[in-house]
Amino acid sequence: MKLSVNIKELWLRSSTEEKELLHDINFTLEEKNVYTILGKNGSGKSTLIKSLSGLNDINTCFIKGEIAVDNINTVTASTDELLYLRKEKIKYVFQDPANSFDPLRKLDYYFRRFKLDHIKAQELLSYLFLPSLKELGGMYPYELSGGMAQRLSFVIAVLMNPELLILDEPTSGIDPAIANLFLIKIREFANKEKRTVLLVTQDINFAESVGGYTAHISAGTLSSFVESTEYFNSDSMLFNKNRDLL
Amino acid sequence: MSLLIKAENISYKTDKDKTILKNISFELNKGNILGIAGESGSGKTTLAKILAGLLIPTSGKVIFNKPTGWEKTKVSPIQILFQNNGEILNPLRRIDSVVREGVKLRFGKNIEAETKAEEIFNSINYEKNLRKRKGYELSGGEQQRGALARVLSVQPELLILDEPFSAQDPDSQSTFLNLFKKINTEWGTTMICISHSLKILHELCSYILIMYNGTIVERGECKELFSNPVHPYTKFLFKAESYKLTYDEFISIRNLK
Repeated sequence: MKLSVNIKELWLRSSTEEKELLHDINFTLEEKNVYTILGKNGSGKSTLIKSLSGLNDINTCFIKGEIAVDNINTVTASTDELLYLRKEKIKYVFQDPANSFDPLRKLDYYFRRFKLDHIKAQELLSYLFLPSLKELGGMYPYELSGGMAQRLSFVIAVLMNPELLILDEPTSGIDPAIANLFLIKIREFANKEKRTVLLVTQDINFAESVGGYTAHISAGTLSSFVESTEYFNSDSMLFNKNRDLL
Repeated sequence: MSLLIKAENISYKTDKDKTILKNISFELNKGNILGIAGESGSGKTTLAKILAGLLIPTSGKVIFNKPTGWEKTKVSPIQILFQNNGEILNPLRRIDSVVREGVKLRFGKNIEAETKAEEIFNSINYEKNLRKRKGYELSGGEQQRGALARVLSVQPELLILDEPFSAQDPDSQSTFLNLFKKINTEWGTTMICISHSLKILHELCSYILIMYNGTIVERGECKELFSNPVHPYTKFLFKAESYKLTYDEFISIRNLK
């Protein structure tokens, strides 16, 4: 099982705003690594990660280029193929995790539906200081605080053990101490489980500490990924030059 | 420098006899900005409410040297900008009418409320075309700045900011940071800023209190405290902010309670 993600000459144009959101994006993701994309609001971060499993609304945007995830080109893929990728390969933790849950279902639905390992689930829940599976399972999403929803969404995504885990602004709305625990788990997930993690953030400190590879995006243009140690090296111009962009 | 507010041994217990604050004392001079840091649940908001007179402390007292010019008004010279400040705006009222009302409450009916309101909007760089809009027609960030204009309409002597930066992206954080600095220098408004982000307090404040579990565990000049933190909790906060914390360190600080 080896995941390959290859993006070649990706262009994305919004037809409602008459604006180009992504220009000529090229990159490759390999397993066992953490990739971080730094960028401001509106720089195209979320649009880019959504395009990996065809989540952008094709009625409002025009996509050109190739996004090959395990030899499926998500730009031209059929709905069935996209559903397969979303079900088996790629999991997201979105920026507004509270809205990722069905408001009318109790939370244990997710643990039953995806047949998640209860022992592992319990471990991860207590690691992130969430209530026990039994207590949490009986709650509705509206009973969670924003930070709890963020942590739970992360827990479920990790337990699904996807080949590619995508995190959109994992540190927004949670206090830095808890974000530290996320960081430890993200590294573990990449190294021990040999999975790929792609995260987008505006948090420079988080990007630096999580390691792996870093790139930045601004106005829809993505730089190439370089090793984080090199990116944040005070001697290198890369980071200092791009600091103003953030 | 004259003393504006002084807290003397403030303690606060809930009805169920749970201690929220223990022996909090500090002084704040006019025109200064004080920072209060600490994680959620350490009693920061309770302290803010006690200072503003919204809660009565179980023991201890707050001494506020009320400056002149507040004799004829019922408005409090201490105002709080709350965390979810967008929601305090009436969604069905125009923002300029809200601010004009505040001005009249503070300075009396005879004042040129229109000009005064303009002045307030200008000082926080509030766009002209937004001033006529109603609460629901504003975006989150615009609402937050609207809420700030509303609080400033009475020109408070002491402005307490309760987590004004939470749930904001770095861009709007720096916008707000600059606004607060501007208000402080232009109007000489004294401020207390409550936040869990040391980075931001460092930018804004001259003096910082670190709260943990209802007490002040460390205090000092901003520069000094940042270069040489002493209490383990302060060190913990610094480390957490730069994401260098290990799981064991995280647990050991939680066990301190």
